[in-house]
Amino acid sequence: MATQMIVTRGLAKRYGEVAALDGIDLDIAAGSIYALLGPNGAGKTTTISILTTLALPSAGSAQVAGFDVTRQANEVRRRIGVTFQDLVLDPDLTGRQVLDIHGRLYRQPRELRQRRIAELVELVQLGDAIDRLVKGYSGGMKRRLELARGLMTDPQVLFLDEPTQGLDPQNRATIWDYIRMLRRERGLTLLLTTHYMEEAEALADTVGIIDRGHKVAEGAPAALAAELGADLIRISGRGDAAHLAERLRALPFVDRVTPLEHLIEVGVDNGSRRVAEVVAQASGNGFTIEDVAVARPSLGDVFLKYTGRALRD
Amino acid sequence: MNATITIWSKHMTKFFRNREELGGLLLQPILWVVLFGVGMGALVRNVGGSDYMSFMLPGVLALTALGGAVGGGMALLDERLRGIMKEYLAAPIPRLSILLGNAASTITKALFQAAIILLVGGLMGARITTNPLGWLALVVLLALFTLGFAGIALAFAARSQSIMGYHGLIFLFNLPLLFASNALYPLVNMPGWIKTIALANPTTYLIDALRALTFGGSATIALPISFAVTALFAALGTALALWSFQRTIR
Repeated sequence: MATQMIVTRGLAKRYGEVAALDGIDLDIAAGSIYALLGPNGAGKTTTISILTTLALPSAGSAQVAGFDVTRQANEVRRRIGVTFQDLVLDPDLTGRQVLDIHGRLYRQPRELRQRRIAELVELVQLGDAIDRLVKGYSGGMKRRLELARGLMTDPQVLFLDEPTQGLDPQNRATIWDYIRMLRRERGLTLLLTTHYMEEAEALADTVGIIDRGHKVAEGAPAALAAELGADLIRISGRGDAAHLAERLRALPFVDRVTPLEHLIEVGVDNGSRRVAEVVAQASGNGFTIEDVAVARPSLGDVFLKYTGRALRD
Repeated sequence: MNATITIWSKHMTKFFRNREELGGLLLQPILWVVLFGVGMGALVRNVGGSDYMSFMLPGVLALTALGGAVGGGMALLDERLRGIMKEYLAAPIPRLSILLGNAASTITKALFQAAIILLVGGLMGARITTNPLGWLALVVLLALFTLGFAGIALAFAARSQSIMGYHGLIFLFNLPLLFASNALYPLVNMPGWIKTIALANPTTYLIDALRALTFGGSATIALPISFAVTALFAALGTALALWSFQRTIR
């Protein structure tokens, strides 16, 4: 049984009348990659802010690396690295100065800082650019520098808030490789937030789907998708959807049926083989089909199931 | 202490790299001394036994310190709005050290400017003391005074939502502090009501003490009082900044 690196119980944050976070329980094992997936405003950044000691919870508790984020904030701070959602780099410093100043804030001795910077420049492949001013960096280079800064103090837990937002696919793939390697080679625990489901799917051991301040589902990406059935048939059209859903549920090969607005989702054992029967049921029950699609369930479908809304990138 | 020094040295690195800030900071006091000193000096030959240049320099030093403090607040606001502040807040450092690092770089810049003012003023005939204690007093008083105002500026900067809002608030503060003081005219010639205001203004105490200790004039306020007021002002400014700052963070 792996030890838990991050534990929260009933974590909540209110800003005036608005509940940004409404009672979240998390148990994140040491050495794992956990992704908080949800739309903008779901409470992902609030969670990160509390766990990185930038904000106080309104209720509930949180421990990082065994220390309470409220009462033992400095112990937590010593053990974590963070990259924030917005790029927070001083444009008038060189990459090397950014890393060096970060190390000095954490009281790293000079030789250690020099050694760490050399290692990290190698890791994130900044090369000679490390001695150029940050304002000349591309978006991908800035993200890599931020990642290096988060790793500068050799943390036990790395928090990544939207680590690939605004990056092109190539740079995104590079960052993904780093994240996988960090876990593999250093046993780092990573908590990342994302609103890209393919990112959560590609990286995470465990995904927590969060919506409007609540955790609505949690599990391995593949397991979450598998709950929806082997395949999904989506029917959209006009007619009595509730009645049709009733009839479809009675079919032996149907796992589950989710009637949504203008759309019925049918989880079946084999999509392409069953689509004809599902369509036949529709026309037999006075439902006019406008569109039919067969798909493998993805995390996006899981999100749709739990929140009733599509997750847009 | 470590974090204060780190943040101070970071600001100084950025300062020496930023040619616009460096140039503006050097030119501004020179312009004050040359334009104002020459213009008014031709008009007023003698103020209470002092030539106008010697009379005016403490005021220019105070004004420059005020400007420096506004700039220091601006630096904090910039780091806040850009999010750079989060790097400090997530680090295991005392919150006060963030403010002190900022105030330290503000004071360093103000002393840097003071050196230029004294150089130019001396070249233009101001009587500057040769007593090292007079110089020491100048450094201490000016540092305390700048710290006090940096505190007020930081208190605003910690709360402002925009650069425009910050400037609006800070200028409301800035101009009266200069004009409702003894910077441009001597305390003894003031009408009663404005004298009362001037005596409530810490700028007056700084300037009075500087005139007596560094520019060969005589004190109209007892020196220990001037020192005490300036020191108290520095402490209050720091406390205000910390109070305001702590309300914006967790």
